[in-house]
Amino acid sequence: MIRFEKVTKTYPGQARAALEQVSVDIEKGDFVFLVGASGSGKSTFLRLVLREYRPSQGKVYVAGKEINRLASWKVPRLRRQIGTVFQDFRLLQNKTVSENVGFALQVIGKNKSYVDEIVPETLELVGLEGKGDRFPDELSGGEQQRVAIARAFVNRPMILIADEPTGNLDPNTSVGIMKLLDRINRTGTTVLMATHDAGIVDQMRKRVIQLEDGRVVRDQSGGVYGHQN
Amino acid sequence: MQLRYVYSELGQGLRRNLSMHLAVILTLFVSLTLVGLGVLLNGQVKKAEDHFGSLLQITVFLCNDSATSPNCTGEVTQAQKDQIIKVVEDNPEVAGYHMESKQEAYDKAKELFSDEYLSRIDSFGPQSMRESVWIDLKDKDEYQGIKSAVQGLDGVSHVRDQRAVLEPLYNALDALTYGAIGIAVFLIVAALLLVANTIRLAAFARRREIGIMRLVGASSLYISLPFLLEALVTAAIGVALAIGALGLFMYFGVHEKIQQSVNFMPWIGMPEFLNAALWVAVLGPLLTLIPTLVLTRKYLKV
Repeated sequence: MIRFEKVTKTYPGQARAALEQVSVDIEKGDFVFLVGASGSGKSTFLRLVLREYRPSQGKVYVAGKEINRLASWKVPRLRRQIGTVFQDFRLLQNKTVSENVGFALQVIGKNKSYVDEIVPETLELVGLEGKGDRFPDELSGGEQQRVAIARAFVNRPMILIADEPTGNLDPNTSVGIMKLLDRINRTGTTVLMATHDAGIVDQMRKRVIQLEDGRVVRDQSGGVYGHQN
Repeated sequence: MQLRYVYSELGQGLRRNLSMHLAVILTLFVSLTLVGLGVLLNGQVKKAEDHFGSLLQITVFLCNDSATSPNCTGEVTQAQKDQIIKVVEDNPEVAGYHMESKQEAYDKAKELFSDEYLSRIDSFGPQSMRESVWIDLKDKDEYQGIKSAVQGLDGVSHVRDQRAVLEPLYNALDALTYGAIGIAVFLIVAALLLVANTIRLAAFARRREIGIMRLVGASSLYISLPFLLEALVTAAIGVALAIGALGLFMYFGVHEKIQQSVNFMPWIGMPEFLNAALWVAVLGPLLTLIPTLVLTRKYLKV
């Protein structure tokens, strides 16, 4: 589903590579934690998957496509197969919950009747039934993140990318969000989650890829956050 | 494609940046009107040149039945015509020439007078006109040789050289044309900058939406469509105002005023107005769409 082959990414004007010789293979349906200190290359990794950047060297394959060779006009089509969730939710404050979720379908050209049918279903899936008419600022942080997850998942993507999704949430709320991501993973969606939250990683016991200074220092299934002796 | 979002964005965008859009519309309106005036003035110059000849032309009128010139013995003969043309063709000052028939001369004369006036003089028809040779000079100051060469030929009624009279008129029309286009160029630059600023503001105001649209895989066209439609709407209003202003100028200025008081030369009419309107209608959308396309590519890159 996602394959990195000896990928190096150096940003223009910087001597040190953000990612160096990274090779990783993530299968369909995997749940993967991407861990590492700030500046270790997690964000660069995610951005390469989203084709916000191209690698400087090596090859990145996402959903069967080699993204180096993907023409710019085909990038939107790739991104429709990837849902993305952020630490800061990124909801539109002037739209209701339903409109926020529906927006993702609307702007890729889905018709209104489809949107009206699929949005309530998705809200129910993330545990927000009955809250479609609320505005984001009327919701708790955990609920807002559920809206963001609903928006990322509403188009049933093959891959869900979560960049520190629990970074702004308290531990109890975080557990709820992780259960939701786990549920989404069980529908066959590949989940790739960058996180600093050791408690969550240790609890979930999923595959852990650890980055340090742009290199993969550990790739372990059923892993924990820190190094195991 | 579902365009509900695009239309609601369009309405919002137009309202949000109303003052900027008004500035763009007014600048476009004035600059396009000036461009249109330039085109009209240019049309007027062409019209006058068709009638009187340009600053590079002198006209040789040939004899007809009623000519009184000493070189005339009635209607010009084919042999005389051949001789005149040979002299014209052999003269080193001549760049080229064309013949104007009696019918063509009549059609031109008709333009100056109303049908009502023409119907009152029944004897006025193609037969009362003269055939003529329109000579294009290589250099507007070297005409004495050809003038004297044809002047004495049999069959030549007279040689017309009104250039001394026409020159100030043509110069004035040219100055007005260049003046209008020159000012228009400055205003067009201002319009382009205003359009660019409007887009920068709109892209900033909508950066969250745009970020999400890119992330969920909206196409570039879909993302930039509200911007392009905004550009088209402002252009359409600017174009409509400019064409309206040109229409008023044509009706009240040319048709109702100048044409009534100055009737020794033909004035621009519907064809020239339509030509100017076409220029305005093409230029207006280009002026807003080109900066929009360039800047949306820059700000909204996927």
